[in-house]
Amino acid sequence: MAEAKAQDKLAFLLSLVPYLVDHDRVAVSEVAAHFGIKPEQIREAVRLIGVSGIPGDTAQYQHGDLFDINWDDFEENDQIVLTNRVAIDDSPRFSAREAAALIAGLQYLSALPEHADRAAIATLMAKLSRGSSAEPSQVAVQATETDSTLALIRQSVSDGVQMEFDYLNSRGEAERRRVDPLRIESMDADWYLRAWCHLREGVRTFRLDRISNPEITTAPITFRAKDVVLPDSLFEGSSDDLLVTIDVAPAAAALLIDYIPDGAVTTEVDGRLRTCIRVSHYHGLKRLLASMSGVATVIDPPEARKVVAEWAAAGAARYR
Amino acid sequence: MTPASSSPRIPVEERLFSLVLALLATDNGLTKTEILSTVQGYRQRYSVSQPNVSLERQFERDKDDIRELGVPLETLDSPTEPGNNQHLRYRIPRGDYELPADISFSAEETTLLNLAAMVWREGSLSGQSRRAILKLRSLGVTSDEPVLGYAPRLRIRESAFDPLSAALEKKVLVRFGYLKPGEAEARTRTVAPIALIQHEGRWMLHGEDQAVMEPRNFLLRRIVTPVVATNAKYAPFPAEATGRALAELDEIWRTRTSIVEVAPQSDADTRLRKRRGTAEVDIGTLQLHYTDINLFADELAGFGPEVFVVSPPALRDAVYSRLTRTAADHG
Repeated sequence: MAEAKAQDKLAFLLSLVPYLVDHDRVAVSEVAAHFGIKPEQIREAVRLIGVSGIPGDTAQYQHGDLFDINWDDFEENDQIVLTNRVAIDDSPRFSAREAAALIAGLQYLSALPEHADRAAIATLMAKLSRGSSAEPSQVAVQATETDSTLALIRQSVSDGVQMEFDYLNSRGEAERRRVDPLRIESMDADWYLRAWCHLREGVRTFRLDRISNPEITTAPITFRAKDVVLPDSLFEGSSDDLLVTIDVAPAAAALLIDYIPDGAVTTEVDGRLRTCIRVSHYHGLKRLLASMSGVATVIDPPEARKVVAEWAAAGAARYR
Repeated sequence: MTPASSSPRIPVEERLFSLVLALLATDNGLTKTEILSTVQGYRQRYSVSQPNVSLERQFERDKDDIRELGVPLETLDSPTEPGNNQHLRYRIPRGDYELPADISFSAEETTLLNLAAMVWREGSLSGQSRRAILKLRSLGVTSDEPVLGYAPRLRIRESAFDPLSAALEKKVLVRFGYLKPGEAEARTRTVAPIALIQHEGRWMLHGEDQAVMEPRNFLLRRIVTPVVATNAKYAPFPAEATGRALAELDEIWRTRTSIVEVAPQSDADTRLRKRRGTAEVDIGTLQLHYTDINLFADELAGFGPEVFVVSPPALRDAVYSRLTRTAADHG
């Protein structure tokens, strides 16, 4: 993906130049903070800009055809002063896909109560369309319903207080949990709250639809999103996890990606992928497998096969 | 000029940046030969005496990469010798490149756009959002610190998303194997993409199926082969088509209902009650909405004995056959 990286660097160079044009003298640290990019990458970009330019009349990249910076100020004081510029004055337009990504994000946000100003959002979408180099590609996201639990989670974060709720785990046991909300994520139609759980003293993932009786407490929050590194995978592994070997149709493998541990070996067996998944107990496994009928099968261990078979058979028996 | 063999390697981004600068600086455009022989990153590898086949290919790829960023790189035909590739001229017209001067974003709007970008957790839209935010920041506006450090984040795990969104931008027909819900074998479809839409959390391609020349929805998750972009262009569809597709899906969702019995206090009881639009019609009996019968049957089958489907019969049969199959596969 070397090309993609170079493309990202180009996008940054084209964004950085107009910013520098607008700032007479600016510290590397300030630019880094503004763009959210590491200072060393800023320096690297500035060094490249400082020697770049156009071939010019002589086609030899003469001095006046190049950008220039105050190199002493840059090397000694970490300050950027553009002393000569060529070709670029203003910020680039958004690409059709960039504008579409932001517009789709705005559509999604527009149903949330704190962004209830629909007119402002519509104006912003129109601006993005006009500021894009081609008609934004069509990406449309259904607005979310306002969920009362989501609203309470937001309140918990904005007021800086813990929240608590009854949580039914997939074993069917209910427990009162007290948490610091960190992030809300959704995958397909399912919503998840990732939070610091004071009962378990660790980061846990909660399905929103298993949360009942949520309440805001008066106890202040201990952890905020910026204090905690959230693993990319939705489900936290533990040393007590059970490993289960399964065969899955290649087309359905994406459904299981969050359950497949790092370093799992995947082989092909009769057109199916054989891999292993990590589950905390078989109660979760049986539900997962029963929802993937015909596309995923447990191979090993035998107890896991049995649990899934019994669960499905008990379900089927209700129709006889 | 230094011979190619001994010249230091010019980083890719330096070559791309130099190409953009050179094409922005020219009014009349530059020919390919002018570009390859003078622009930094090409000139070091240009040969006066030999054909520059690989360098020309490099230039073609670079043009694509640059255009993908939304840079309007134009090709001008020669007025005296139209159709002669050697006389094509390339340029980037400043007016189409620069953000129009009257477009600015307030601190509040910038905050909102930052949040909108954060919605995308991973995949293509997150990359596109990140770039858009870089361009936004080049305007120098700082955002209000959002009170909420987060917005809900969406994950796009479907590998078809990227190639489809690229095809949507280039307006070219795509071909892919599609496993229609309820069918055992995937069939190859040729489709003119109209929009990528997300409904009830599921990503779909809304597109014109070329076999029937009618709009259809394709679940991204059920696209089972790599998406092939063809060279065949199609005429753009009106922008309203996207909103209409979402509205139609909403209407399907509204009209399709099912009655199920749930075991009290079970996982099914807790979760199905929280689904959008659920109504309790009797104690322990819920009316639920759905869009796709096969996807809904998968979901209900996962609840095993906690759910009994009363109606419609097709859904009941679908759940029953799934449970029977799972039991048999694990027997």
